Amino acid sequence: MAEPLLRVENLKTQFFTDAGTVRAVDGISFEVHEGEIVGLVGESGAGKSVASMSLLRLIESPGEIVGGEITYKGETIFGLEEGPDGDLQRRDDMLSNEEMRTRIRGNEIAVIFQDPMESLNPVFTVGGQLREFIELNRDLAKREAKREAIRMLREVGIPDPEQRYEEYPHQFSGGMRQRVLIAMALACEPSLIIADEPTTALDVTVEGQIIELVDDLQEKYGTSFIWVTHDMGVVAEICDRVNVMYLGEIVEQAPVDDLFHATKHPYTNALLNSMPRPDRTVEELDPIEGVMPEAISPPSGCRFHPRCPDAREVCQRVHPEAKVVDQADGHSHRAACVKHDVFDAGYDESVPLEAEPQVTAGTPGGGEDR
Amino acid sequence: MGLLRYTVARLIQAIPVLIGITVITFILANLAPGDPVRLMLQGQQVDQEVIERVEQQYGLDRPIHERYVTYMANLLQGDLGHSIQRDRPVTDLVVQRAGPTLMLVVSAYAFALITAIPLGILAATRRNEPADHISRIVALLGVSTPSFWIGIMLILVFAIQLGVLPSSGLVYPWWGPDHYGYSGYPELLYQTIRHLLLPMVALGTLQMATLMRVERTQMIESLQGEYVKLARAYGVPERTILRKHAFQVAQLPIITIVGLNLSTALGGAVLIEYVFNINGLGRLLLEAIIGLDYQLIMGITVVIGTMFVIGVIITDISYAYIDPRVTYGDRE
Ligand SMILES: Nc1ncnc2c1ncn2[C@@H]1O[C@H](COP(=O)(O)OP(=O)(O)OP(=O)(O)O)[C@@H](O)[C@H]1O
Ligand code: SF4
Ligand SMILES: [Mg+2]
Repeated sequence: MAEPLLRVENLKTQFFTDAGTVRAVDGISFEVHEGEIVGLVGESGAGKSVASMSLLRLIESPGEIVGGEITYKGETIFGLEEGPDGDLQRRDDMLSNEEMRTRIRGNEIAVIFQDPMESLNPVFTVGGQLREFIELNRDLAKREAKREAIRMLREVGIPDPEQRYEEYPHQFSGGMRQRVLIAMALACEPSLIIADEPTTALDVTVEGQIIELVDDLQEKYGTSFIWVTHDMGVVAEICDRVNVMYLGEIVEQAPVDDLFHATKHPYTNALLNSMPRPDRTVEELDPIEGVMPEAISPPSGCRFHPRCPDAREVCQRVHPEAKVVDQADGHSHRAACVKHDVFDAGYDESVPLEAEPQVTAGTPGGGEDR
Repeated sequence: MGLLRYTVARLIQAIPVLIGITVITFILANLAPGDPVRLMLQGQQVDQEVIERVEQQYGLDRPIHERYVTYMANLLQGDLGHSIQRDRPVTDLVVQRAGPTLMLVVSAYAFALITAIPLGILAATRRNEPADHISRIVALLGVSTPSFWIGIMLILVFAIQLGVLPSSGLVYPWWGPDHYGYSGYPELLYQTIRHLLLPMVALGTLQMATLMRVERTQMIESLQGEYVKLARAYGVPERTILRKHAFQVAQLPIITIVGLNLSTALGGAVLIEYVFNINGLGRLLLEAIIGLDYQLIMGITVVIGTMFVIGVIITDISYAYIDPRVTYGDRE
């Protein structure tokens, strides 16, 4: 298969807080190919946003990318190597901060944030903000940038774009602002757009319209997407391949059909069962028990074991790294669950854990798991 | 719709406030102890008859509401009454003294804003670094030290010890260089600044300290906004983010604080004028109070109150001008 547009390997991002180290992203690997929409799914706090911002190297103190490799179009966004003194140091070929700012952010990888109400600056006109980003990322003169901005506003379905260009964010509805943010992303002509829960703040009707719009525009412009969401319904509608995240790790990775019809991880299963579907009434919904523990003190072994219906004794001890459990049309289906034979951890012989419905499952001091 | 209509509307709204100011000062002035006529006669023994005649002459024998109506009727014609103590129309006195006070207050604010905004931004971007700690200490001192004391210290150091700046009086540029015997406008300007420097700093320090802290807080908050994250994600240089994206949003509360603190500044001006021997409204007011010169007290209070109201209106309008979210009250 062709070289992927983006390759993330064993990425680790941590926050060094007074309370301890938060392992927000703890060794995730995934790829994005050209023209693909790749989903990043998981509950709140799973590390989806931190992972997204890591790709742009926009993690703010006290956070830091501490390990792994990010390669984009053959260039190194992040990479470490062993220095002469044996310590890890940043690789020479890693893009400088200035290169990241001028060459990657915006013009190669653009973002759409969750909250369209907060993402636009209240004191500047919508058009002015759009034009500023276009000027910056496409080397266009002011007048051309403005023409382009208006064209993009029309493209994302904003009526009267010439007039709306002069208006301020508070004069737009939530859905219209999200369209503006989409226009911003597309107008910079990036190869990859990271959409971090772009429809979460919108109501269902508007969400549907936005998803349809993105689907159309994605086809037209051929842009790749990383689509961050906690909604399996959205995943089904829009994604080609999916990464399911739990507590900083990717626990399952598969093409969308396989994920839904040949689910390999109990957490994904639980997510699917908690999802409203037309063929099920609300009473039949089966929410996941308990809440996700804090990333500051993840459970030992498999991080999902305190909430997993299939958990056995071995799950407390063995920490499963995602492995290929199946192949489907050229893409591998990975899962991090010792149930599968490839792990050979003795799951079948292990005794089932008492299903203890815990609310918080952080095992004190159980942070070490390797 | 529109800033002009908004401005007019705000001015109309100010009318009841101004009427309120006159009512309150009128009542307070008339309830205050002390008998102005006796004071004017300075302890001379005179007949009760004479006193009554003088009271009649100034209308002091009529009931308070009647006197108020007369007062307001005169006020609308620009007549603020007659100063018993100085035997001159209050309007003349006030007009003459308003210039120095305005010059002092405006320059103090200019000083406060010009220093507070960059220092506040510096503190915000160097959070918990030495610059931030120093600015915090300066702000704390500025807020807790009375302005007249700062004034006295400045006089001691710069006028008496070093002898580099004058300790009293102001130079009023509108009187022209010839009045002072200066060689020309450059010298007039130079002397104006020299005289203004110490009282300006003394009066402006409190405002500077307050504004600096507000600027710091606002910049920190603004820099954490989603719109700043978005700008970063689109490769906007950090300099531009600071100067444009974060800055503009952070200035809105500053304008509000400037408006709210006008009363403190006008109050502070009274003391500073006293310390620096400036013939402004504040000193005039103090002297009027000591002399129980009611008409003068009221006249000055009404004028200072009006200045305050106009100042607040100006801040409101500039806020509306900068913040597009302000609706002008006639739609939405
Ligand atoms: N600045 C920070 N300081 C400390 N911890 C942080 C910081 N930012 C994120 N985290 C932690 O990192 C973890 C992952 O957060 P992240 O925002 O990526 O979650 P998410 O999957 O995007 O959730 P959501 O669906 O709510 O957006 C959380 O445990 C969070 O508390
Ligand atoms: S490893 Fe064990 S606890 Fe973890 S998901 Fe699989 S079965 Fe459940
Ligand atoms: Mg998030």
